[in-house]
Amino acid sequence: MEHSNLKRRLLIALSAAVFIGGAGSAAQAAEVTLLNVSYDPTRELYTDFNKAFADYWKKKTGSTVKINQSHGGSGRQARSVIDGLAADVVTLALAADVDAIATNGRLLPVNWEERLPDHSAPYTSTIVFLVRKGNPKNIKDWGDLVKPGIGVITPNPKTSGGARWNYLAAWAWAKKQPGGSDATAKEFVKKLFKNVPVLDTGARGSTTTFAQRGIGDVAISWENEAWLATKELGPDKFEIVIPTISILAEPSVAVVDKVVLRRGTRVVAEEYLKYLYSPEGQEIAARNYYRPRNPQVAAKHAELFPKLDLVTIKEFGGWGKAQKEHFGDGGVFDQIYGK
Amino acid sequence: MHIRRAAAGASIAALLPFSGTALAQTAPAGDGNADLRQEIEEQKQRLLVLERKLELQQEAATAAAATAPRLTLNASRFQIGNTDNTNFIRFRGTLHADARTYGGESVPETADTFILRRVRPTIEGTFGGIYDFKFMPDFAGGRTVIVDAYAAARFNPAAVLTVGKFKPPVGLERLQSSADIRFIERALPTNLVPNRDLGVQVSGDLAGGAFSYAVGYFNGVPDGQSSDNLATPDVEVDTAGDYAARLFFQPFTNSDNFNLRGLGFGIGTTWVDVDGTAANTALAAYRSPGQQSVFSYRANTATGTTPNNATFADGERLRLAPQFYYYRGSFGILGEYTKVEQDVSRAVGGVTRSDTLQNSAWQTQFSWFLTGEDEAFRGFTPGSTFRPGKDGSGAWELVARYHELDIDDAAFEGGATSFANPLTAVSKATAYGVGVNWYPWNTVKLSLNYEQTEFEGGAATGDRADEKALLSRFAVNF
Repeated sequence: MEHSNLKRRLLIALSAAVFIGGAGSAAQAAEVTLLNVSYDPTRELYTDFNKAFADYWKKKTGSTVKINQSHGGSGRQARSVIDGLAADVVTLALAADVDAIATNGRLLPVNWEERLPDHSAPYTSTIVFLVRKGNPKNIKDWGDLVKPGIGVITPNPKTSGGARWNYLAAWAWAKKQPGGSDATAKEFVKKLFKNVPVLDTGARGSTTTFAQRGIGDVAISWENEAWLATKELGPDKFEIVIPTISILAEPSVAVVDKVVLRRGTRVVAEEYLKYLYSPEGQEIAARNYYRPRNPQVAAKHAELFPKLDLVTIKEFGGWGKAQKEHFGDGGVFDQIYGK
Repeated sequence: MHIRRAAAGASIAALLPFSGTALAQTAPAGDGNADLRQEIEEQKQRLLVLERKLELQQEAATAAAATAPRLTLNASRFQIGNTDNTNFIRFRGTLHADARTYGGESVPETADTFILRRVRPTIEGTFGGIYDFKFMPDFAGGRTVIVDAYAAARFNPAAVLTVGKFKPPVGLERLQSSADIRFIERALPTNLVPNRDLGVQVSGDLAGGAFSYAVGYFNGVPDGQSSDNLATPDVEVDTAGDYAARLFFQPFTNSDNFNLRGLGFGIGTTWVDVDGTAANTALAAYRSPGQQSVFSYRANTATGTTPNNATFADGERLRLAPQFYYYRGSFGILGEYTKVEQDVSRAVGGVTRSDTLQNSAWQTQFSWFLTGEDEAFRGFTPGSTFRPGKDGSGAWELVARYHELDIDDAAFEGGATSFANPLTAVSKATAYGVGVNWYPWNTVKLSLNYEQTEFEGGAATGDRADEKALLSRFAVNF
């Protein structure tokens, strides 16, 4: 009996030692770090936002938070998280990539969209054309992209979330043309990709291909990325063309439960994403050319975001269906590309 | 809708790879060479596309290399892992092939032998940069045992949780790996401290390694033993486990004072209230430097229905092991003292005698690299390697030591009822040894030791004859 008590006391002591060690570790980590794994064109957005959130968090709690950023093609980034990249939060180009983390990686619940307003998409964007100054090939709408001799720059839908939005926007336009059907849309997208000389893995890479390497006549681009390119390189080099039909792109955000549980960062990670919905967060999004959800902030920046006919992912049956049909192995994109 | 807009200036250009100039796309109207210009422009586009595709291929190759498994195979390491070493599996091995020759009268010629002392293929690794494991069997001596099998979680340098079978934190030379010990066999104090045991331990380094601690709870093993030596291997043999702890200081380890950086000292201890029995004594024999049994408690001599009369552990066992080392340049000194207070009992003829015995041992050993390499408690790198016909002699090291084992006189009192038989068990061993180690390669070591040990008692008349052991080893450690 005495020995049993001794064992119990020892186990308690060991547990206490581990606890003390852990507590010491926590105390040592007075600076909390988060890793935000995001898609390609959000570098500037989150550089601004992270600074604002760090200030907000310091003021609110007295604690210091440092947010590290990782950027790349949205699909590839999701794959990295599934493979072990310890993202506290993901801010990806589309819901399908977060779904993949939930279903394939089992790192967060499948109902993750319900945990934040607007099905966890705090800002939106759409797809536009970036053309060279003077629009020398006279590109006005999707139909112009399949003309012979037109070089179209868009990333690879297999790795890039933006590319999937591009693809679906083109599909939606073709289907809405007189006599349009899935068959005509498929043929249209097939023709469009025949005009794509280079497939980058992400949207930023495509912008580099078009703007820096001087390849192609038009880049199908995130609206925010097009604005940024124009802003950085000057209006004397590029112009933005708004097509008649585009798609409502809804980048998704989520806390990665298994990572924040392991790292003890759930509270700050959740607050980080909620702050995206705050007026300050919405203002930062708008300043970086993302369409804010907040009506007041949207009204303030209305001149940046022209109204146009936007289809939604619902018209494709949601991301689950669209991903499988169009971008899954053996899907429509596999059928049309390179054939 | 067609929008043209001049964007406002900003300060994030550095973040963007935009710096090129867009190309003019069309030929001037009315130019008679328009077709030619168009052709040139198309060729230029093709060239640009090819260049970009090549660039993307290179980027993809670079990205793939960063995440691809990395195989490391060099003179001392065989490892598969990722590039930042947060996930890896390492294959290691230890092969110690010995030859033992004895002079003098204490050890019969039949004891001269070649022996495989250690044959230990090892797998160890890390997951997530935090969770370690080690699995090390030993196939030497015609049997298979699991020497080490543990998992560890390095929550931070100050809190490492280790669970499984491993070395309890007590004896200094015992804690030195078999690849790093300077003599072929460890010195006499190692007889008194536990070898491998199953348990749980919390350990850590503080102040940048200036202070380290370890506390643990183990099944408990007799002096010098591993849990695989027990009658029922690798399970607790009584109802009590050993508490073990060690504190170690290297106060100058981060100092600019290079004369003192290699100084370390500390103390290890275990305590248990052990319930041995005459059938399961929880006591061990002690070995000489030549690995001959020189001391043991009395075994059972009763026959028939007479009760077992073996000496057994019967109460508290406290081990204390103060220890130190000092390394400076090519010189090293290591010392330790170990004392065991052991409650023992023996029942003979219906009378049970009990006592607390105090056995002790100590050693001091010196090491010196003739070839100038730096001495260290763990590992070293030869300044050169030896390959026939080429420059380089490898590393050469001289070693010397003095060590003693002293058995409590009370163990031999009581005549026929004594706890140990003075006619077969020595009461004291005093040994000195010298040796030379040659490291022709950083994973290969050839050793030659001469060890002479004088004994008190342990013979029918007078003292047991001196042991004169010439030990040699061919070792491969990677």
